[in-house]
Amino acid sequence: MLTIELEGRKIKVPEGLTVIEALWDTGHDVKRGIGCLSGLCGACTVAYLEAGAQRVRFGLGCQTVVAEGMNVIMLPYFPSRMARYDMERMTNPLQELAGHYPELTACNDCKACNICPEWIDVAGFVKTAKEGGYESTADRVMDCHMCGLCASRCPKSIAPQYVGLYIQRSCARQRPLPPNLAKRLEQMAALPADREFTQVAALNRAGLEAYCRKILDS
Amino acid sequence: MYPADLLKSLELVHSTRQRRRAESLPRLEEQQRDHLLKTYHPDYKDAAFRNLRVGANKGDRVTHELADLLESFSDLDHARINLEPEFTTDVLVLGGGGAGVTAALFAESLGARVLLATKLRLGNSNTIMALGGMQASVAEEDSPLRHFADTMVAGGFAGKAPLVKALVEDGPHIVKWLLDIGVNFDRDALGNLATKKAGGLSAPRILSIGDHTGLNIMKVLKDEMRKSGRIEILEFSPAVELTTDAAGACNGAILYDLGRRRHLAVQARAVILATGGAGRLHNQGFPTSNNFGATGDAVVLAYRAGAGIEGMDSFQYHPTGVMFPDHMVGVLVTEAIRSLGAHLVNAEGRRFVNELETRDLVAAAIIREVEGGRGVRTPSGKVGVWLDIPVLEELLEKGMLKKRFPSLFKQFRRVRIDITRRPLLIYPTLHYQNGGILIDEQSESTVNNLFVAGEAAGGIHGRNRAMGNSLLDIFVFGRRAGLAAAERRGAVPGPVTLNHLTRYYDRLKSLRISSVAKSPTLFPEFIVDKL
Repeated sequence: MLTIELEGRKIKVPEGLTVIEALWDTGHDVKRGIGCLSGLCGACTVAYLEAGAQRVRFGLGCQTVVAEGMNVIMLPYFPSRMARYDMERMTNPLQELAGHYPELTACNDCKACNICPEWIDVAGFVKTAKEGGYESTADRVMDCHMCGLCASRCPKSIAPQYVGLYIQRSCARQRPLPPNLAKRLEQMAALPADREFTQVAALNRAGLEAYCRKILDS
Repeated sequence: MYPADLLKSLELVHSTRQRRRAESLPRLEEQQRDHLLKTYHPDYKDAAFRNLRVGANKGDRVTHELADLLESFSDLDHARINLEPEFTTDVLVLGGGGAGVTAALFAESLGARVLLATKLRLGNSNTIMALGGMQASVAEEDSPLRHFADTMVAGGFAGKAPLVKALVEDGPHIVKWLLDIGVNFDRDALGNLATKKAGGLSAPRILSIGDHTGLNIMKVLKDEMRKSGRIEILEFSPAVELTTDAAGACNGAILYDLGRRRHLAVQARAVILATGGAGRLHNQGFPTSNNFGATGDAVVLAYRAGAGIEGMDSFQYHPTGVMFPDHMVGVLVTEAIRSLGAHLVNAEGRRFVNELETRDLVAAAIIREVEGGRGVRTPSGKVGVWLDIPVLEELLEKGMLKKRFPSLFKQFRRVRIDITRRPLLIYPTLHYQNGGILIDEQSESTVNNLFVAGEAAGGIHGRNRAMGNSLLDIFVFGRRAGLAAAERRGAVPGPVTLNHLTRYYDRLKSLRISSVAKSPTLFPEFIVDKL
């Protein structure tokens, strides 16, 4: 058994548990911060101080394994401002970035936001975004699961997760329609595939099997 | 990091790699496939099933876990609850994953008032966990017909042809919609959508966004929901019962506000059930890849309201769920890894199945190895086989794993396992409910005004789902449900009642069923069991 301080209370928990399992094990009825339990969804961010450590660290409650002397709490959702916009109506959303997120220009690269549990270099992509490196920014925020920890630390109230998402969406929106998709949509519009499908839908099991095998062999 | 015992077994994996690379395993003949499934697939373990005694599908074979839920009473005191609606809306969407949000967006696009209620936080769902990708026939050598045939074959021809037709024909249009709202699917150098092959597919058809496909689509969908501000969202408010009118049509739901700990009624002209599947029921004791809330609520709610279900005795056990370390048990390793050529290796250092067979066959083959004593045991007594991922770095290019599977790389970096150097110990994990509530092409169930989308819906995937078809089906049927439900706004919903519950309970009582289980479960009883 380990002794840890969990949500402000000193308790004993079995070795090898994650923070969430430790909470359940000690009778906490935790639901708000629970999600995928696989380290993918970002619902269960925790802050913890390891025994003897100087700095508070951040992680995911479902992936952080408790250690002797650890002091740990689950973090509530962090409120951050998000812009409202209609991407489908914008032809060049990147040009409108500054209008939606004007605070981005206030970033002075203090790097306080670099506490990402996914190891994203937040300060790095915010700086790149500020300088107009949008494609690179879009690439670097793909792993972001919007936990908002970075926003909790920004002295200028920038919400890097929302700025990143806006840029990610804008870049995708501004790319031309993929040629292979355009071609398929054209083919589908031109061919009355429906007639063939209507016949297929009426087939019995044996007929369906024969039909599908024929397509797959062609 | 792996303990000494596992490291020893790993030596064999490393030492046999070159020999294994030279091998090509033949695909199974039809008879062999049949035998493998019937002997080892969990869907064929007769002791794990029983026949339902009540409801629209009385006599059907379902898992004990599901039968327990369907043959039980609710926690709700239905005779005393206040049925005065706290909210009225045109369309009530239950569930905040990909299907629910898509349905809400499309219903709202027709001008309907929409209320979306979800058990956990908006977006907190299995959609986010969809790693590998989404099917859509956009490649030159592909076609919707080919997609149709692959889906029917994968599902053992148990899928409903009209639903599969809807799925494959809407596919390319759904991709167009997603691109329009700013989803960044991977592209090749010419700007084409990049497509990959997967188990059981006759053409490359998997679209992806790195190995974070679902997460990135869900982020965009959630963002999109904010644009009009007209969709009302209730988080931490799971539905615990549907309501019906005098004619038995669905006209709302009873929600349970987890924060305030009280029930509330919502009256609606149409209801869309999009609460996902039942993975967290841990059928037959299997680990699961599913999120915390996936406890099969939709089937329970719809069935009590009179809806027919379909194929609820068929589940997908994803072949490659993590078996070590303990706190990651059940977590998924994407099929994309196998499609690229990773090897499955038993304790004897041998490959034992062509890794590109369909998921049900690969899962059955892994269970065969473990039951036959050719599995690898972890310190806590769990057993699995190795998935040789590092072989990909040799087959393809050095550094590709970190580049193409950043999420997987990071998940294991946290536990100090470097996937570029170390294979992973895996075993099938309960992944997907192949069946569900029976729907028609407009996503409507057999109960009037009750629509179903996403994993809760049945009839699409037959008895086995091909990779990437669920991420497509949530958008295809989410959209159809949203559009059709919005069209019901002309009708005036009758008074909200729970008469269907009284009828259902009367039947349970007449059969002398007095289950202590309460359903829906809402959350799994979480017992931390460490050895």
